[in-house]
Amino acid sequence: MVVRLGAGGFGAGRLRLSTLPLGTVAWGLVGLLVVVPLANIAIELASADGMQAIRDVFTGRIARNMLWLPLQNTLAIGVVVAVACVALGGLLAWLVTMTDMPLRRTIGFLAAIPFMIPTFSAALSWTVIFGDDRLGPASTGFLHALGVPVPAWLAWGGVPIAAVLIGHLYSICYLMIAAALVLVGRELTDAAEIAGASRWQTLSGILMPVVTPTLVAAGALCFAEAVSSFSAPAILGLPVRFHTLATRAYGAIETGNPERGYVLIATMIIVAAALLAVATLAGRRRRSFATVGGKGGRRIRMTLGPARWPLAIAALAVVLFTTVLPALALLLSSLSAQRGTVFGALTLHYWIGASDPAIAQGQAGILQNPQLVRSFVVTLGIGLATGLVALAAGAVIGAAIHRTQRRWAAAGLRQAAFLPLLVPGIAIGAAFIGFYGAPIGPLPSLYGTPMLIVIAGVAATLPFAVQSVTSALSQISPELEESARVGGAGPLRTWLAVTLPLAFGKLLAGFVLVFVKMVRDLDLVILLYTPQIPLLTVLAFRYASDGFMQFAHAVSVVILVLSVGAHLLANALGRSSQPWLKAPAG
Amino acid sequence: MTDPAIDIRNLVKRFGSTEALAGIDLSVSRGAFCVLLGPSGCGKSTLLRLLAGLEAPSGGGIRLSGRPVADGRAGVTVAASGRNLGMVFQSYALWPHKTVQGNIVWPLKIAGIPPAQRRARVAAVTRMLGIEALQDRFPGELSGGQQQRVAIARAIAPAPDLLLFDEPLSNLDAQLRVEMRSELLRVHRETGATVVYVTHDQIEALTMATWLVVMRDGRIEQQGPPGALIAEPATPFVSTFLGNPPGNLLLAEPADGGWQVNGVACDGLPVADHAGPVQLFYRPERLTLHDQAGNRRIAGRFLEALPIAGRSIVSADGVDGGSLRRLSAIVDQPPPLAYGDPVFLELPDHPDGVFSMTGERLA
Ligand SMILES: Nc1ncnc2c1ncn2[C@@H]1O[C@H](COP(=O)(O)OP(=O)(O)O)[C@@H](O)[C@H]1O
Ligand SMILES: [Mg+2]
Repeated sequence: MVVRLGAGGFGAGRLRLSTLPLGTVAWGLVGLLVVVPLANIAIELASADGMQAIRDVFTGRIARNMLWLPLQNTLAIGVVVAVACVALGGLLAWLVTMTDMPLRRTIGFLAAIPFMIPTFSAALSWTVIFGDDRLGPASTGFLHALGVPVPAWLAWGGVPIAAVLIGHLYSICYLMIAAALVLVGRELTDAAEIAGASRWQTLSGILMPVVTPTLVAAGALCFAEAVSSFSAPAILGLPVRFHTLATRAYGAIETGNPERGYVLIATMIIVAAALLAVATLAGRRRRSFATVGGKGGRRIRMTLGPARWPLAIAALAVVLFTTVLPALALLLSSLSAQRGTVFGALTLHYWIGASDPAIAQGQAGILQNPQLVRSFVVTLGIGLATGLVALAAGAVIGAAIHRTQRRWAAAGLRQAAFLPLLVPGIAIGAAFIGFYGAPIGPLPSLYGTPMLIVIAGVAATLPFAVQSVTSALSQISPELEESARVGGAGPLRTWLAVTLPLAFGKLLAGFVLVFVKMVRDLDLVILLYTPQIPLLTVLAFRYASDGFMQFAHAVSVVILVLSVGAHLLANALGRSSQPWLKAPAG
Repeated sequence: MTDPAIDIRNLVKRFGSTEALAGIDLSVSRGAFCVLLGPSGCGKSTLLRLLAGLEAPSGGGIRLSGRPVADGRAGVTVAASGRNLGMVFQSYALWPHKTVQGNIVWPLKIAGIPPAQRRARVAAVTRMLGIEALQDRFPGELSGGQQQRVAIARAIAPAPDLLLFDEPLSNLDAQLRVEMRSELLRVHRETGATVVYVTHDQIEALTMATWLVVMRDGRIEQQGPPGALIAEPATPFVSTFLGNPPGNLLLAEPADGGWQVNGVACDGLPVADHAGPVQLFYRPERLTLHDQAGNRRIAGRFLEALPIAGRSIVSADGVDGGSLRRLSAIVDQPPPLAYGDPVFLELPDHPDGVFSMTGERLA
């Protein structure tokens, strides 16, 4: 989501004060955080071992299982998820912003939440509902326990992975498409109506084409997110040996074949980047239409007639299934004395119980477990540290982009800072292990230190941090700062008195976004954590792999609450992310 | 006589609790250039959208060429597409994903016009508006003036009987606006369509209208040929809204058998028998400028002088606050005054109009 900076007028009249050192520092940061670790992967691949790994992976005996089947799975999941998300998100966006569907505000509010739920929690909740007993009683789901036969394809593998990713990502499509739809001038569709176009002709001939660039961008984003996801296939695919590139790369690196892992990771990056490039090129001629329609005007909502309630109920079902249901399933599971017994005996043991040798090999409830408390503190600490450092790095880079007078230099810096968007979390993890995991000259190896996780996190979230800083800065008209300067305030005073307070809301939102991404992330840290740094997501993943499902679900509930809570708080503090819900019902 | 092109009876439109149109009666004859003029928010666009069939009235009815198309009870009975009209929007509303040609041709396709005729129409309207060379461009690649021409071409391509314009020139720069005014008048002449044209710019209204409708707060204040509205404004609002500079309106109070305006005695008013205060309307060109007090001379402070067409428009405001806001006079010689200097404006012995406090014209 590379959002263009507004109005061109920045450079004009600005002091060139300190442009050079700022630019140098910014490039230094981007270099250390993004360029060098990624280039290092390329260098590794160019080595003799790397070339051998490329040959093995692409043409060797293992090629089919290592690359081609997982690639096929990955692409299939990416395409299905992208198409379904655009269709589902687009339909919801249209219903909420353009029609008289009842309950549309509630539905709109809920539709933004799945994006805040970690895929990792969503995947676990799928097993709570649809799991079968093929992996033993510990993975039995509610449906199976109720005696409903759950076909194997619905319990594990590609279908559940795609479903979980759709349930997570349609939310982004909804937000992007709704934002585009509300910008389409009402007069565009009025003009079609006067021409005599039917509703369908207006929808297919005017509205859809006008928002097509947004549909393409949203689809490409979902595709990239889906092909790079690790959590969902790890939880729903690995138990039945269903592999994607991400799980194969993880497996290769974990089993001491990092070069093979790098080959797979490079393949993932190329697949995601190729699609995004195609999408960008396809959208180039059509540019962004969304702003062409002039003032949005008061919207006349399309009347749905007798379809109003059926559509509202269907939409409500979708948003409830993707928000309340997973949360409830996890909660209920964490409270069930016995896995798979729905409405059986409930217990708080997995939350607060003391160690009892009869249950779960004597594991104490998570709130009694010193490891969990430590893990909670470590996770919060890493989240906060990453948020602060990312924002500081984003501020330097954002300010450099903002101030650089040479357009190409600013564009280059921005592109480099946004590069991590293309790189799957697990690949960033691998790149950082590869580069910072070994001593660099006099500097010691960072492996096993929280610092490694923090700087990898900063690299992974840099696009979001830079975006929040540049959008905060671009909001402040240069005249505001200049008027303070003319009034006699020095640069520091101006910055403290004018710039910072004005930018505060956006910066805070950026900070929370980075924080939440870290708190709920598994993809990035799965290769970086060590037992000394027990992150919550890793803890839950470990519990789940060891079959202690209720514990995994309890931890997962904690993460979910933390993540959704922080998001909602940021929304409440900053400007609403869905202004169209506020408009008076017209 | 044939039916008027537009016949509107007691038209009401409510949005929730706001009454955007509060009983409009309007009749526009075939081939007229009818301009709806009024301040922002007075309901002009709403009236136009009801005419277009984009919205349904809450009360009253609309007939086009004698045919009922909408009323308060049945709603829209003839849809926009059945009314044979074209509309040009303030934002132009060009479809951004279609080329110029695509924009013009799509409505013709929707209307089921055969390809050969479509080509002929596109050729004819692009020639009429001088945009033949732009046919393959996208709207995003056109200047504001060119977009405007495309929007007009699109509206007239189906040869409508009725053309609706909603502030079409307000997004253009001053020079282009003057140019497009005559262009629009030419299009009106060549198509012979009836035009309803919304604007808040009185220059546009006075130069283009054959029938001028002044609106305020959802009502029609006055309608008629522009000359008639200037000569005989029916309400205080029209008297101060029309004309450049606008007319002067002064509060006159009965005092000792005569009248007092802003503390100055004035004799010879044509409404000697009126018991309460009245409002007096004076055209700017009839006030004269003096440096001393006297009969019918209102004391004020000089604000500014604008030289125009060899004369000067002088503005002043009243000294003692009161009801007097701003007075304008047109004089031959620019006065040697600076901001804030005292000045006296002499009213002629007969006002150009007298209105009751509730707005009826008394004389
Ligand atoms: N769709 C709508 N919903 C609610 N109020 C509206 C709507 N359209 C117009 N209005 C109100 O009706 C009044 C007239 O609006 P409009 O016709 O657009 O005025 P004008 O075009 O003269 O500026 C305004 O008070 C406006 O706020
Ligand atoms: Mg309007």
